[in-house]
Amino acid sequence: MTTMRTPLMVAAAALALLGALPLLLPAGLLNASIQALIAALFACAYSLLAGRAGMLSFGHAAYFGVGAFATVHAMNALGGTGLLPTPLMPLAGALGGLGFGLAAGWFATQRSGTAFAMITLAVAELLHAVAPQLKGWFGGESGISTMRAPAWGFGFGSTTQVYYLTLAWVLVSLALLYFHTRTPLGRLTLALRENEHRLRFLGYDVHGLGVSAFALSAMLSGVAGGLQVMGNESANYVVFDAGVSATVVLNSYIGGVGSFLGPALGAALMSFFGFAVSDTTQSWLLYQGVLFVLVMMFMPEGLTGLVSATTRLVARHGFVAVLPLALSAVFAVLLLAGGAVFVVEMLQRLFSQDYRSLARMSGTAPPVLLFGRSWLATALATWIVPAGLLAAGALMTGVARRCHRALVQAASHEAPPSAATLAERALP
Amino acid sequence: MNDAILSLRGLRKSFGDTEIIRGVDLDLHPGERRALIGPNGAGKSTLFHLVSGNLAPTSGEVVFDGQRITGWTPQRINRHGLARSFQITNIFPKLTVFENIRLAVMRQQVGQYTFWRVIDRLAGVRAATEALLEKVRLQSQARTLAGEMSYSEQRSLELAMTLASDPKVVLLDEPMAGMSNEETHYTMELIREVTAGRALLIVEHDMDVVFALADRISVLVYGQVIATGTPQEIRSHQGVREAYLGEEAAA
Repeated sequence: MTTMRTPLMVAAAALALLGALPLLLPAGLLNASIQALIAALFACAYSLLAGRAGMLSFGHAAYFGVGAFATVHAMNALGGTGLLPTPLMPLAGALGGLGFGLAAGWFATQRSGTAFAMITLAVAELLHAVAPQLKGWFGGESGISTMRAPAWGFGFGSTTQVYYLTLAWVLVSLALLYFHTRTPLGRLTLALRENEHRLRFLGYDVHGLGVSAFALSAMLSGVAGGLQVMGNESANYVVFDAGVSATVVLNSYIGGVGSFLGPALGAALMSFFGFAVSDTTQSWLLYQGVLFVLVMMFMPEGLTGLVSATTRLVARHGFVAVLPLALSAVFAVLLLAGGAVFVVEMLQRLFSQDYRSLARMSGTAPPVLLFGRSWLATALATWIVPAGLLAAGALMTGVARRCHRALVQAASHEAPPSAATLAERALP
Repeated sequence: MNDAILSLRGLRKSFGDTEIIRGVDLDLHPGERRALIGPNGAGKSTLFHLVSGNLAPTSGEVVFDGQRITGWTPQRINRHGLARSFQITNIFPKLTVFENIRLAVMRQQVGQYTFWRVIDRLAGVRAATEALLEKVRLQSQARTLAGEMSYSEQRSLELAMTLASDPKVVLLDEPMAGMSNEETHYTMELIREVTAGRALLIVEHDMDVVFALADRISVLVYGQVIATGTPQEIRSHQGVREAYLGEEAAA
């Protein structure tokens, strides 16, 4: 019973927290939350295609962007009154994403694997190249701006109202995505990833199934694009940028593309991380990339894989037995991250143009200001800090490994898990 | 001869310069159980691929239930009422056994684009899936991942998936490979039972099964049917004895 209720309770707590955020956060962070919600929806929509259907798209910015521009045009239509009441505007994004997704998906899903990825990439790049030329549709370099019209007794002037509107749309979209997994079409989408060939001989039209997954993913990406336009009150052709396509891939895989909420988690975390860090460092993209590589190398199932592995360990050995492993692993990560960040930030400052010209003028290496202290690049004491952090991190990693080995050895005396629990574990 | 449900006429298939199927004519009648035997490399599996739409013939035609199905896609042929199993097990290994059969059952009951109904609430699909599970004796494995079962159990699963669409013609490619004597016997009786009222074309290396199950047998050697007849006729056919049966018939 507890296993049935725990996810429900977690979901209820998460909902309560999301509902209370406007009371807890200052306006700046609430804006970041809106961006995080949109990124979360985009990542979940993307993962329907990349995770469940097993088709890796490298150009999902196209559907996000088409949704964004469909929404901005719907908001500006009829002399600014808009086609729909403001709360329903993302429907225009959904329709735009769906329509464009059907068309692009019909072509892209004729192929699979690398060819499929290349087609999606080409579609997005095509839009990115063409959009600035089509001033009427995409507003040229400056983009198109719009206004949220008051509707249903709400002014939609405050960040709080925009937040709740975004939250409502994200939740409805996620509910729709979840419902999809329970329908015959959703089960077939999973089967498409597993064995397309067999599906054909069971009488299914696999191209049609591929297009349906592609279009649904594009439709909800369009909703996310629409929500971004509602929040920003403007749309610009940079939404078609390859960076937007790349970010949704990174977010989804960091969170764990194989699970339902993993991509949302990854996107939300990365959005907040970016918000918090991008002001204080110029190396944010480097950290994002390194994080992605590390996750792919050591946790191919993403952060949710880490969470479920930990829950399994706890369920099997008990909280107390796992605690030393968890603590040593966390310390190891913190120490290694600390050392690495120190080196990266130090090098970034030492090799910056400003510093080099400063050094050339003064003739010596002036001290570098970092973490509220000044460090001498030539002093041994400066480099002992990251070296010590990294060494301590390596030591902690060894301790964590030993803890893990002890747990595994203790487990080998017990019975192996039954096939039934294995199956349950693998069920999506 | 016109009442055949499945007719192959002058069927040929070449891969490059190599001709694998060299002019096959074959008529399968409704309700008939036909075995296709022949040495390794005779083209039995290739013939199945040609009939089921996995490969397109170089020349010749396949007529199924009054329609020329040459060049049709596999899914169209399947929907028309021809289901097949594969020599190399072809299932969804990372999905549960229940899900495997349910996917096969669903096609006819709800179609493929049903996005407005929850699958667990479809009582008809569940009942049909459970009936098939019971038939192939995999009820206890319903929640196991298909890929984690033994080879013979996977063969049973594939048989269930093939039967799920209630086909008019069933093509089985070595369904008993890797099974124990008891499993082979059970599966043979099962095939006999579930193919009643359907036409069956079966490739099988176990000669006891072939002679016990088939109404008629066709012998394929180097891409040509060299003989067709009742088990008795085939057993005594001189050409077959020389070309293929040799030791088995003598033993």
